[in-house]
Amino acid sequence: MAREKKNSESLSGVDRWNATEGAARPKAARKGRRGRKSDPRRRRYASTLVVLLAVLVACVVAFTPVGEKITQGLDIRGGVSVIMTASKPDGSAPSADDMATATTIVQNRVNSLGASETTVQKQGDKSILIQIPGATDANQAIKTIGQTGLLEFVRLDEIGDADALAKINAGTEDVKLKSGTYTPFMTGSHIDSVQVGQSGNSLSGDYAVNIKLDGTGSRKFADVTGELAPTNGRIAIVLDGVVKSAPAVQSKISGGEVSITGKFTLKEAQSLKTVLDSGSLPVTLKYSESRVVGPTLGQDSLTQGVVAIAVGVAIVVVYLFVFYRGLGLLTLGSLAVFGIVYLGILAALSHFGLFALTLPGLAGVVLTTGSAADSSILVLERFREEIRMGRGVRAASVSGAKHGIMTSLDADAVQLVTALALFLFAIGSVKGFGLTLALGIACDVITMFCFKAPALRLLALGTIERHPVFWGVDQDLAEAKRRQDAQAKKGGVRNA
Amino acid sequence: MRSHFAHEIPFIQHRRQLLGLSVVLVALAVVGLVARGLVFGIEFQGGTEIDFTNTGSVTIAQMRDALSDAGEKDASVQTTVSDAKSGFLVRTGTTDPSTANRHAAAAAKALGLTSENYTVTTIGPDWGSDVTRSSALAFCIAIALIIAFVSVRYEFKMSITAVVALLHDLVITLGVYAWTQTPITPNVVAALLTIMGYSLYDTVVEFNRVNENAKQLRDGVHRTFHQITNFSINEVIVRTINTTITAVVPVICMLALGGSTLKDFAFAMLVGELLGTYSSFAVASPLLSIWKTSEKKWKRLEEKYGWDAVDTPSEPVAAKDAE
Repeated sequence: MAREKKNSESLSGVDRWNATEGAARPKAARKGRRGRKSDPRRRRYASTLVVLLAVLVACVVAFTPVGEKITQGLDIRGGVSVIMTASKPDGSAPSADDMATATTIVQNRVNSLGASETTVQKQGDKSILIQIPGATDANQAIKTIGQTGLLEFVRLDEIGDADALAKINAGTEDVKLKSGTYTPFMTGSHIDSVQVGQSGNSLSGDYAVNIKLDGTGSRKFADVTGELAPTNGRIAIVLDGVVKSAPAVQSKISGGEVSITGKFTLKEAQSLKTVLDSGSLPVTLKYSESRVVGPTLGQDSLTQGVVAIAVGVAIVVVYLFVFYRGLGLLTLGSLAVFGIVYLGILAALSHFGLFALTLPGLAGVVLTTGSAADSSILVLERFREEIRMGRGVRAASVSGAKHGIMTSLDADAVQLVTALALFLFAIGSVKGFGLTLALGIACDVITMFCFKAPALRLLALGTIERHPVFWGVDQDLAEAKRRQDAQAKKGGVRNA
Repeated sequence: MRSHFAHEIPFIQHRRQLLGLSVVLVALAVVGLVARGLVFGIEFQGGTEIDFTNTGSVTIAQMRDALSDAGEKDASVQTTVSDAKSGFLVRTGTTDPSTANRHAAAAAKALGLTSENYTVTTIGPDWGSDVTRSSALAFCIAIALIIAFVSVRYEFKMSITAVVALLHDLVITLGVYAWTQTPITPNVVAALLTIMGYSLYDTVVEFNRVNENAKQLRDGVHRTFHQITNFSINEVIVRTINTTITAVVPVICMLALGGSTLKDFAFAMLVGELLGTYSSFAVASPLLSIWKTSEKKWKRLEEKYGWDAVDTPSEPVAAKDAE
C-alpha cells in the first residue's frame, strides 16, 4: 500500500486522490465509481464494447457448430482434387467458349460418377478444377475424368437389354446401357461440327441441333436412316454408355447434314450440342495436378493443426500473463475476440460458397494468430513505456493505444501486401493461405479498434491505477517517479 | 528513457563480431547452395508424391520393395513421423495421375495399408512451369511493394539497409534448405514471403526508434550514432523478444504436431522468423549505424566521444546523462 501511495505522487492531484482512496478504502472507491458513471469517456468505451459484444454473439451463432458451418477443403475432407489444363491441338489459346464447353463436358463425366457435392469450375484462363469429396475409388474417378467422352450412335432395335429399352420408350432420361448389350453403328469421331439453330419451321420458335458428318459418317448415316425411315425407327445417342437422346428418323439423310428436331428450347438444344461435342472435345485436357487424400487422413491433419494452434495459443497466453500480469487478460480477451470474429467471417464466406478451409489456409490462421498477439504486445509495450515517461495511466492508455495501433497498422499493411499478392498472383493451393492471411489481418484491425483500445482505456479509468501491482505497471510507475526525482535534482534540464 | 534491463546489452559494441558471424553464415549458405543445390518440390517440376501415414511396423526396405513391385522403380523414400505415428514420404517422377494412383494402391495393398492411410499428389509436367512463373511473379510483386511501402514511409538509407538485411535472411534461409535438402514447395515460398515482409517491418520499427532518438539527442548531448543505435535497440528489444516468442511458439507447435503440409509452412516460418529477428539487430542496425557514422557530423562525434576514442566508463552512465 505504501508503495502504491508513493507511486501515485507523480500523478495529478485528482488522480492521486482517486488512487489513494481506492487503495485505502475500497468501499468508498466503489461508491466513487458509481458516481463517475456519467463520465462520457467511460460511456463511449463501454458502448463500443457493448456493440462489439452484440457482433460477437452474432458471430458465435453464425459459426456453431464449427464443423458444419465452415466448409472444409478437399485436403481436409479427403477426396479427389484434380486440376486439368486445356490446350488446342494447334497451340493457340483456348477461347472462353471452348472452356465453357469443356467445363460442361467434364461436369457431365463427374456427374456420371454419382458422387455428391462435386465441384467443377474454371480456374484462370485455361484450367478446370474438379473436386470430388470423399471419393472412395480414386482410380475410377481419375480415369473417368480423364477419358475422352465416347459418343456412340445406336439403332434402338440393336439394343439387347429389354429393361433399358422399355425405359427409353417410356421417355426416362439418362438410361444407362450395359456394355456388350448394344452395337453402335457409328462413333462421335465422324462428327465434323455441331451447331444449334432455329428449326425449319421457325414460326414455332423451336430450336434444332444440326450435325455435319464426315464422308464415312455420312455414308453410314445414310444407310441406317434409309433402313429406319419407313418405320420411323429411333437412333439412340449414347455418351459413355448413357442414352442422352433418342430421336426418331423421319427420312433418309444422305448428305451428311443431320438435323435433330423436336420441341427443343435453346437450353435443351445446347445441352444436346454439348453431348455431341463430347466425342470431339474442342480442346485437349491434360492433368496438371491431382491430389487424392484419404478421408480420415485429412481429418487427422485438421485435428493436428487445431491442436497445434490451441497449444501454441495456450503457451503464448501463459507467457504473456507472466510477463504482463493483469494486462495479460487484455491479450487473452483480444485473442478471444479475434478468434470469434475470424470464425464468424469464415462461416459467412462458407455460407456463400466463397471459402473452404485447406491446410495452407490453416497455416495462414496460425500465422495471423501470432500477429494478433503481436499487436497486443505493441499496444501494451507502448502503454507501459508512456507510463515510464511520466504520463499518467489514463493519458498513457489513450496515447499508448493510439501509437501502438499505428505501429500495428503498419505491420498489418506490410502483411496485407504479401497476402494479396499471393491471393491474386499465385496459383494452386497457396491461394488459400493468402486468403486466410488477409482475413486474419482484417480481424486483427477490427479487434484493435473495437476491443483493445476501448478495453485498455476503460481499465485505465479506474482499476489499473488502484491496483498497479495486479496490472503489472508498478515498476513502470516507480521508474517514472525515479526519473522525475532525478530531474528535480538536476534542476529539470530536459523534459523527456 | 531506459530499457527493461538494468544495463544496456552492447550490440553495437560487438558489431564486428555480429557482422562477422553473418558473413560466415552467408558464406556457408552460398557453399551449401553451390555444393548441394536446392531441392524443388514436385509442384515445380512435375512428379508424384505419396504420403503414407500410420504405417505401423512397415520398414523402409519393405516400402521400397512394395513400390518397386508396383512399378515405381526410382522412388525416393523418406521416413516421417506425425502424431507419434510413423509414415513414409515417397517421391517419384510419374506425371500421370492414373498410373501414380494405381501404383500407390498396389503398394499399399502389398503392405496391408488401407486407402485412408495415404495421399497421392501428382503434378503434370507443364503445370510446374506455370506454378514457378506465378510463384515468382507473386514473390517479386510482394517484395517490390513492401520495399516501396517502407521507402515511402521511412528514410531511403533505412530501406536500403533493411533490404540488405532481407537479402541476408533470404540467402541464409536458402542455404538452410540446401544443407538440409528440404524440398522447396509453393507453400514454402508463400511462408517465406510472409515472414520476410514481417521481419522487414521489425527492422523498420527499430530504425524508426533510432531516427526518433537521433533527432531528440542531436544537440548538447555527447552521444555518437553508435551509442544512439545501441540504446534504441535496447529500447525495443523487449518488444522484439516478445513478438518473436508469440510468433515462434505457435509455429514450433505446428512443426511438432502438424502433418506434412503444416510442417512445410512451419519450418520455413521458423527459419525465417528467427533470422529476421536476428538480422534486425545484428545486421540492419549495425550497418545503418556504420553508414550514418560515415556522415561528417556523426564522424566528428564518434572520434570525440566514441567507445574506441575515449575510455568511457560503462554505457549505462552515458544513458542516464542523456535523459
